[in-house]
Amino acid sequence: MSINNIFSRLLFLLFSVALFTACSKDAAQSISFQGGQGGSTARFAINGAYLYTVDESQLRTYNLTDPANPIPVNTQDVGFEIETIFPFGNKLFIGSTSVIHIFSIDNPAKPEKLSVAISPTVMRRCDPVVAKDTVAFATLRAGAACGGFQSILAVYDIKDITKPVQRASFGLNEPRGLGYSDTILYVCDPPGLRMFSIKDAFNPRYLGDLKDGDFYDVIPYGSLLFSQTKTGGLIYDISKPATPVKLSQLQ
Amino acid sequence: MNKATGLFALIALLSGCTSSMDEPPPSPATAYVPVYYQQENVYAVKAEAAKPISKAGKQYILGNLLLQNELNEGIHLTDVSNPALPKKLGFLSIPLCTDMAIRQGFLYANNYDDLIVIDLREPSDPKVIKRIKDVFPPANQEYPPFFNVLFECPDKKKGVVVGWELKNNISANCRR
Repeated sequence: MSINNIFSRLLFLLFSVALFTACSKDAAQSISFQGGQGGSTARFAINGAYLYTVDESQLRTYNLTDPANPIPVNTQDVGFEIETIFPFGNKLFIGSTSVIHIFSIDNPAKPEKLSVAISPTVMRRCDPVVAKDTVAFATLRAGAACGGFQSILAVYDIKDITKPVQRASFGLNEPRGLGYSDTILYVCDPPGLRMFSIKDAFNPRYLGDLKDGDFYDVIPYGSLLFSQTKTGGLIYDISKPATPVKLSQLQ
Repeated sequence: MNKATGLFALIALLSGCTSSMDEPPPSPATAYVPVYYQQENVYAVKAEAAKPISKAGKQYILGNLLLQNELNEGIHLTDVSNPALPKKLGFLSIPLCTDMAIRQGFLYANNYDDLIVIDLREPSDPKVIKRIKDVFPPANQEYPPFFNVLFECPDKKKGVVVGWELKNNISANCRR
């Protein structure tokens, strides 16, 4: 296929995206299809007409009203060793190696820090984080590059967003990214992808592992689960979230 | 200069690479070795034919389009209309790219220390239509992000330092 043909196909996809977006607007999905979806380890997040990026220490905000011409509108210090950003509703959850910073984007051009979630269980680790309703889930990875001694899945009560409280934890090996669909939480943790029922969020129930690869991160997207593995990726059908069906391998 | 930058500068001064003439030559030991990115122009972005994934990075999904980062190399564009049979469309070669997002046909990605915008709506010729300079601080070019470690002193001629690998049997000249 020539580059020309390749990108004609791409154009078609981008158009079908527009249709897809339009169709899914009414769906009671907790994720926004409008701006696409990254994983829990992303450093870029689009929310509405704004792009947020994090580097080691700073959060930058760009206005995308004209998507061809992002305008930098804000730069702010967040902390040290920032690693991930996850948008949820009108909040940004920013994971670092020590804490989770929670920002309000009620004013999307100027995120405002609301609080910091600190785990009493693990003091130093790497923190991908996702949020669902009034609960935030984070994997706290200890180990050589991250420091600390013990890795866990931490569940925070964020009903009072100014005072996040850790309500549950579950011991893990060397966790990385995570994501959820409905009441199932997927956690990348060698030797596979762990699944938890989070019907009762503060009492996550371990269901078992998918052992198809060395998982780094997951993106639940409608009825599909995209996963990043060491060698590429795997796509699952998660129409039934507790029993993913492997569809294909990206290589 | 903000407080954080000041602190880092101080740490850099206090713990910078030391290699004194008086010290005996180092004996082979376990040490960090710089991982270089070798390309003359780190800002050269181009569209290429599809190729296999080698070092899988992050993913980003929009509708039926999956972006798969190739760590520090660029982005695989994949059609997942049929998720049982994903079809690679092409590859965007973007030096030192690790992150990306899309909105309304425009792709945002990091290209070393710049944020770039690529217009994906022009099918035959995806172009960088905007570049915002110096918004991502590059990895430290002098030393690894660890304390009390031995490391091989970086050599600028070998390229840009993008990371560090712990290796055995290295005659390392630097310490921090």
